[in-house]
Amino acid sequence: MASSRKMVQFFYDIVSPYSWMAFEVVCSYKNVWNIDLKFKPVYLGGVMHGSSNRPPGMAPNNFHYMTKDLERVSGYFGVPLYPPSDVFEAMFDKGTLNAMRFVTAVAKKEQEGGVLVERVSRELWKRIWSTDQDVTQPASLTEAGLKAGLSASELEEILTLSKSQPIKDKLKSVTQEALDYQCFGFPFTVCHVNGKAELFFVLTDLSSWLIASGEKWVGPHPDKPTFQM
Amino acid sequence: MSNSRKVVKLFYDVISPYSWLAFEVLCRYRNVWNIDLKFKPALLGGVFRGSGNQEPRFVQNKFSYLIADLKQMSEFFGVPLNPYLPGEKGTLNVMRFVTAVAEKEKERGVLVERVSRELWKNIWSTHRGVTHPALLTEAGLRAGLSASEVEELLILSKSQQIKDKLKSVTQEALDYQSFGLPLIVCHVNGKAEVFFGSDRFELMAHRIGEKWVGPHPVKT
Repeated sequence: MASSRKMVQFFYDIVSPYSWMAFEVVCSYKNVWNIDLKFKPVYLGGVMHGSSNRPPGMAPNNFHYMTKDLERVSGYFGVPLYPPSDVFEAMFDKGTLNAMRFVTAVAKKEQEGGVLVERVSRELWKRIWSTDQDVTQPASLTEAGLKAGLSASELEEILTLSKSQPIKDKLKSVTQEALDYQCFGFPFTVCHVNGKAELFFVLTDLSSWLIASGEKWVGPHPDKPTFQM
Repeated sequence: MSNSRKVVKLFYDVISPYSWLAFEVLCRYRNVWNIDLKFKPALLGGVFRGSGNQEPRFVQNKFSYLIADLKQMSEFFGVPLNPYLPGEKGTLNVMRFVTAVAEKEKERGVLVERVSRELWKNIWSTHRGVTHPALLTEAGLRAGLSASEVEELLILSKSQQIKDKLKSVTQEALDYQSFGLPLIVCHVNGKAEVFFGSDRFELMAHRIGEKWVGPHPVKT
């Protein structure tokens, strides 16, 4: 039997494909696990730089493995992940700074656990990691926002807000928060329980710990359990 | 229910703590899953050099995380691993010794399993280390080898044949495009499914038509 409610801070950047999968699993388990889920949009570029880590795809064998692994993992978790035609251009040349400022602006309007942040993040992930579309231009962000259920006028407001100094600072400070937890990559989750902060990189670390603390794991889809752990 | 046994190769180095976790899990599932488990002692340093990958211990934040993660994972998997920064400069002689044991005994052998486990315990459990030949001998004796067998294996481990064997197994891992260890290669339906790390067992089970029921498939 699970103990007290755990506050779970999910740090992510939509540039990260593994983060999308962890995000979908955590979202589908959010009403199964005794957790209080808070989304923390950050900028991966800032974390890589701040932690002096190199993107894993830089070593050819890593990159090759990740491509195959992403196909398998996304298939298993039922996430429609298809890498963009030019992964390096999408991830590193074009990047996700504007997109994450946009998500930060949505979060500011709505609070960290919100449905809108979840939907907007999902639509942005789909653009870069499913349909190979741009996520840097205002028109792209608007399209994602509309699909997420925002109105045109709300979007105009959010786009303006996303270029403001407070939002730029907010993204920087959440990114710094991740670095203060010694983050080096994503997905990165911090669980607060009994006054302690437990850190997890990769989904299986998080789910193993939750299982060990009494939560259920019934396979990739809690609404269609395949087994019990 | 699958008919023919599926070959599962575990490439590992005893300097690698996650390799120990993967090793123990696969040993437990060896008679639960319809698999033919083969131990492939390799050299982690060789894999890093051959793949040009950056070693995790050189990124401070990653290293701090690994120590904390290993504490959690060792508890979850029920392996007596006490994480720390080993003083080992490298495990070339050690993995040559394991290769010599494997060569004498074939890849599935009980002795390779026992010797590897005792070496992992020396490095990652009791922190006694393995660089001194006396410590290698001690691990061999605990694994059930006689003193003369250990001496014979120590001599064999310095032979060109064994040096070449370790090199070729390390190259085999690189041919599967490894960038670290543990590397688990499952042969199923004429295809090779490659898994890195000790956090893909649920997915691996799904891919080879078996069931993952957690780190302890047999309740004691």
